Amino acid sequence: MKRILQLVVVALLILPGGKILAQDRTVTGRVTSADDGSSLPGVNVVLKGTTLGTNTDVDGRYSISIPSSGGTLVFSFIGLRSQEAEVGSRSVVDVSMQTDITQLSEVVVTGYATIEKRSVTGSISSVKGSVIENLPLQSFDRALQGRAAGVLVQSNNGIPGGAVNVRIRGTGSINASNDPLYIVDGVQLNNTNNAAYTQSNPLAFLNPNDIESIEVLKDAATAAIYGAQAANGVVLITTKKGKQGKARFNFNYYTGVSEPLKILNVLNSQEWYQLRKEAWANSGNTLPEANTLNNMGRLPANWQTLTTAELDQIAAELPTYDWQREAWRTGKVNNYELSMSGGDDKTTFYLSGSYVNQEAIISPVNFERGTLNVKLNHKANNKLTIENSLNLSMFQQNVPFATDGSFLGNPAFATSTILPHNPIYNEDGSFNTAIAGVLNQNPIAVVAWNSGTQRTNQVVGNINATYKILDNLSLKSLFGLDYRFVNGDRYTDPRTPDGAGVSGRASAQTNWNTNFITSHVLNYSNTFASKHDVNALLGYEYRSETNEQLNGAGIGFASYQFRTIQSAATPENIVSFWTGYRRMGTFGQLIYQYDKKYNLTLTGRYDGSSRFGSNNRYGFFPAVAASWLIKQENFMQNIDFVSELKVRASWGQTGNDAIGNFSSRGLYGAAGNYNNFGGIRPTGLPNDDLSWERNVTTNIGLDFGLFNNRVSVATDYFIRQSKDLLLDQPVLWTSGYGSITRNVGELENRGIELEIRTINVDQGDFKWTTDFNFTHITNKVTKLYGGLEELPGDPSVRVGYSLGTYYTYEFAGVNPSTGRPMWYDANGNPKYQVQLADRRVIGRRVNNQADFFGGMTNTLSYKGFEVSFFFQYEYGRVVADGQYGFLLENATRLTLNTLEETAGPRWTTPGQITHIPRPYNGGPEPRGSGPTTGTAGLQKTDYIRLKQVSLAYNFNQNLIRRAGLTNAKVYVQGVNLWTYDDYIGYDPEWFGSATGIIPQSKNYTFGIQLSF
Amino acid sequence: MKIYKFTLLALLMVASFSCEDVLKVEPRQSIESSTALNSRDNILAATNSPYARLRALSSYGRNLIAFPEALSDNGQATNNSGRLIGEYQNLPGSTFNNWQNDYFAINEINLVLAALQDETVSPPLSATDKTRIEGEMKFLRALYYFNLVRVYAYDPGVSVGASDRGGVPITTTGYLRAEDALAFLPSRAPVADVYTLIYADLQTAIANLGNAVGRAPIYATKAAAQALLSRVALYNKDYATVVTNATEAFNTLGVGAFLSGNEYVSGWRALSNPESMFEVRFAVAAENIGVNESLQSSFTTIRSLDNLRNANGTLNTSSNTGGWGDLRPNAQLRGLLGVTTAGSGTGANPPIAIVRGADIRGSLYEVGPGRGAGAGIECIKFLGKTGTLYMDNVPVIRKSEMLLNRAEAYATAGSPVFDEDLARADLNQLLVARGLAAVDDTLVGSDLYEAILAQRRIELAFEGHRWFDLKRLGRDIPKPVTGGLIAYTDFRLLANIPTREIDGNANLEQNPGY
Repeated sequence: MKRILQLVVVALLILPGGKILAQDRTVTGRVTSADDGSSLPGVNVVLKGTTLGTNTDVDGRYSISIPSSGGTLVFSFIGLRSQEAEVGSRSVVDVSMQTDITQLSEVVVTGYATIEKRSVTGSISSVKGSVIENLPLQSFDRALQGRAAGVLVQSNNGIPGGAVNVRIRGTGSINASNDPLYIVDGVQLNNTNNAAYTQSNPLAFLNPNDIESIEVLKDAATAAIYGAQAANGVVLITTKKGKQGKARFNFNYYTGVSEPLKILNVLNSQEWYQLRKEAWANSGNTLPEANTLNNMGRLPANWQTLTTAELDQIAAELPTYDWQREAWRTGKVNNYELSMSGGDDKTTFYLSGSYVNQEAIISPVNFERGTLNVKLNHKANNKLTIENSLNLSMFQQNVPFATDGSFLGNPAFATSTILPHNPIYNEDGSFNTAIAGVLNQNPIAVVAWNSGTQRTNQVVGNINATYKILDNLSLKSLFGLDYRFVNGDRYTDPRTPDGAGVSGRASAQTNWNTNFITSHVLNYSNTFASKHDVNALLGYEYRSETNEQLNGAGIGFASYQFRTIQSAATPENIVSFWTGYRRMGTFGQLIYQYDKKYNLTLTGRYDGSSRFGSNNRYGFFPAVAASWLIKQENFMQNIDFVSELKVRASWGQTGNDAIGNFSSRGLYGAAGNYNNFGGIRPTGLPNDDLSWERNVTTNIGLDFGLFNNRVSVATDYFIRQSKDLLLDQPVLWTSGYGSITRNVGELENRGIELEIRTINVDQGDFKWTTDFNFTHITNKVTKLYGGLEELPGDPSVRVGYSLGTYYTYEFAGVNPSTGRPMWYDANGNPKYQVQLADRRVIGRRVNNQADFFGGMTNTLSYKGFEVSFFFQYEYGRVVADGQYGFLLENATRLTLNTLEETAGPRWTTPGQITHIPRPYNGGPEPRGSGPTTGTAGLQKTDYIRLKQVSLAYNFNQNLIRRAGLTNAKVYVQGVNLWTYDDYIGYDPEWFGSATGIIPQSKNYTFGIQLSF
Repeated sequence: MKIYKFTLLALLMVASFSCEDVLKVEPRQSIESSTALNSRDNILAATNSPYARLRALSSYGRNLIAFPEALSDNGQATNNSGRLIGEYQNLPGSTFNNWQNDYFAINEINLVLAALQDETVSPPLSATDKTRIEGEMKFLRALYYFNLVRVYAYDPGVSVGASDRGGVPITTTGYLRAEDALAFLPSRAPVADVYTLIYADLQTAIANLGNAVGRAPIYATKAAAQALLSRVALYNKDYATVVTNATEAFNTLGVGAFLSGNEYVSGWRALSNPESMFEVRFAVAAENIGVNESLQSSFTTIRSLDNLRNANGTLNTSSNTGGWGDLRPNAQLRGLLGVTTAGSGTGANPPIAIVRGADIRGSLYEVGPGRGAGAGIECIKFLGKTGTLYMDNVPVIRKSEMLLNRAEAYATAGSPVFDEDLARADLNQLLVARGLAAVDDTLVGSDLYEAILAQRRIELAFEGHRWFDLKRLGRDIPKPVTGGLIAYTDFRLLANIPTREIDGNANLEQNPGY
């Protein structure tokens, strides 16, 4: 049977050739893309009204025989606007084909399938790879910032390739992970940072320029196909594939620099002396001048013979050194890429290689990565297609003194807090190590002497085969691997104060993460009676992951020149661990479309996870969604200004199992060694009933386009309820345990999302488009357990309020007559010293969650020029920035430098109205609370940031063709150029406590892209 | 035909679910708790953890040693690192926090004690092992309850009625099952009940334990249990028990030795203090509390006595500045110790140095290079004596305390064993051993009693006694540096029970004021 079919096909193929004799004219020509002038292979060329036809070859050339009377040729290709050309008497007909935007944008990847956008029933945001192209950001999660409604991206720090906080539609879990599921070409990634000495974002393995598109599945109905893992949304990354045609090469290079975002406005030596002197005097000390000079290590031995004026004079002559500018540097970035793609109708390929080296603004932090990406697609025969994708990546980072924290040697913490009269270098150019003040290390020297690198080698790849069982039934089997090998070393130099006590310390770490996935999906699609489109799939998936680590440290080095662990005289510790989990699920989906107007999607997934209790491993996650394409109705046909109108509604459940691999188990672990004998102790309580945390999301959406889609809008309203939260329920310590993971509590996120795209001007060569997105989310804890109104030990989790609500002491300002800080007591009266009972909810909206966020891009193009501006914004988040907390103390507790913003407005004279109390030596005043207590230490992070500006020029194709190029582009780009905020501190984008975090930077890059 | 293949495949997928093993992943570095203590080796290993918890920062790692000095009238905070300043200023809440660690240890002990009764243990423990383990665990349980009750509750006989909310919760059952742990919502047992349990546990320890060579001072011994009981009885105003147990403990050879003269001073330089009757062992570098919070770092900026000074006699600040030296002896304590400083480095004056009196205990203090607060006299009882900087074994009970316990019991007015001659004899034994003159029989009554307390303060300074000693006697807490005073009735005499424990348990009452 098969053989006969093949013969028929072959016969059909050669048949036109046989007819040549019967014709009397040959028309030839070349079909090119109107976008970039490249040749288009595989275009259908048909003589209108006949069955005569052919396809273009790899060079876009065709040859067709037509009757001598001529006729009209019809050129068609998927994704391009069909075109007709009257042959007339011509024998050469060249055609340039336009991209059909309406057709192209209609395909979205939804996981296990690609569907037309018109069939979408849930809520999906798409970001094209071209939008985030060439940004000097080393992981794509960071590049998503401000690009998609409902997706909040916050920077954890400025380490290139460092951690990023991504929340899709709010924070849905209190204790389990809130990270979305990342999937690259069908392989579910592990995005846990296993690096011990710096932040190595596992998503940095991928060169963002290899990304074709990113789809964010936001509502539960769309994400439910991933059931168990999809509670926090799904981010699908599709990498670039090969395209039919002769081999095309792309070369891309950019280079640039990075500069600090901000230099904190710290006090000079004289201002600090004055501040500190006041602190001593205010605390009743009779020798404030001498004590302050003593704090600064500048008290002369004969001080008792000197007058206060003479002591003041010593201070007046002290120099001031700019430690921040000494620590910050101009970082450089260089990025090189070369890709090649092509193929014929059976086999296509995409090969790319890249190398990037980016320096952070603080020495020695950097990021150096090489990637190799291979994609092959081969149609073995009519039924079997084999595909592979392989990303090999290696990145290496120099490790900072610390990624965060108030360490004396951490330049991100210490350079703004070290006393400014301390010289950085001695006169002979060596490092000054006699540093006065509580920060008695020279952070510049410490960073220069210590060393360490962190290396990540990663393979993410899959091989998959699709077999057409029937014309409309296919089976796709995929085997994927995400393997990561992380190793690192760090050396604390014996010349540094931290290393001196132990004669140097070397540490080394090795971590293996093996993440295997396989899925097998049957896909069926058919159209019945030309009105009923049915698409169904049924699948099975298995994922297993293990993580192993071995690390150790040794101390006692002969000298600083011996820096590797084998030179250590004494091993300090050797640690290893092994952990793992497995998941398994079956799933099914039915998409039904009636008359291209009504869509219905039913999804169900049954999933199991080894992390849960033996009684409750499995969960079922159903979803239903529908949409109505109103514009397709007859009554809409005459309303011309509405070009598109669609309503969507969905409901679905997803699950979260992102807890410890053995959280449901009652275990004894090895701990509590005594006198060199091994100890064991219980490490947790068992919970055999532990099961899935469920997210139930209801989504209503409206999409419309006006004026031939010059304005297109997508809006969504959602209610995301998280139930059976995987909560670390506190257990009384008296029972011997801290907590037990149980399915208790509920919380809710409600939000509005808006994505607007407008074509403001489209006049001849000039085009101006705007993309805007907006998200408003409110979060609320709706239920705890046992009737509790707040979580024991964590009053920021309280029923009826957002997560991260501030339940603390409300600052009442500074008493104008005494200069002492005050807080309101439970009755609203001001007092100096707070007690637990004085705490209150500061406000319904005062919490550490963002209320509004989004971004806006404006792109203007004229002929070859293109300019784009991208702003992002965030509003409504209130944080306690740890760095600011130290600075706000105004050198009262510790001899740290502080800011003009906190020291300047301090209370100095009775009657003065201000918000900064008088300085007082020793920290809190007697029977008073410290100056950063309660809301006094909180700040708003609201900001608008000009995240990206780029100016590009595409050379005229006719010009460059002579140079053998098909495309040439040069561009300049700026990142984080301008920020509007009231924030005191390095960066309002920060997420977390922000103490001593390496800040983000401003970047300027210049690049060139060539295709040939 | 194909449709059958497809159905078969679908069936296979579903079938794989029936196989539970696919989702079974066993941990490799932990074992099931319900069966963990069913072998001899595992039970023996489980006895180490309650000892190890004594190393915790909240226990003898720092807080039980450093806080009593900062909270009371011995220490003065330097504000070098900002640590211990809240305790020194007696800020509400800046106080002990041993609740969690101690109850965790008690649970571990209770689980071991239950396992001793388990007949299915295989291979089984020998009867000798069982007896010893029961003794050691009960010694530790008594120590943990004692530390809890003296931190969170009033001591017997000196309760401030209106503020007294009782002792601390008692549990002698170990918890392994969630439902049991969640159902345990204890209230505070009366102080007397807590003392009854401590007494009973220590008496079992005394009965079960010997004084075998090699166990003391880092494991519980019979003499250590007697020594602890003498201290517990002192807090309990049970003076007869103080005398019997202090006497037996003091007379036991091999468990701590009473040292005098240079031997006493060099004892403080040894890895394990020969005076220790019970000492918490810090064995390997991984157990080090480190540069910020260790006892060495808290009390002194000196890294080592070896190169303390440069050739010209000035302090070697460049390579001998180690810890933070957050707490120093105040002027009052320095006066009692008879130590002062001489020199200033000004002009022709020699560099600053310590001047000591006859009291050999002055040798446990030295001028350190200092940090922000400058050079000054610091306590050097903890000095990285394990060979690892910032890591010292911590003496919990020293032999000398036995003399002080007994002398106080003899000299307390109204004591059933009141005998001033015997009290003076004990006091003189200590005084002479410390290089001081003996007192004669003109020292009587409250003068004698106060002299004994003064010696207790000097002898045990920077060892975690002073706050508890003032508190158990119902005395106000003097703050000599500021001239202030914390009345005994002040709520800060009792530590706050962690809020989470109160929030999660309606039966548990917080101490007043918090």
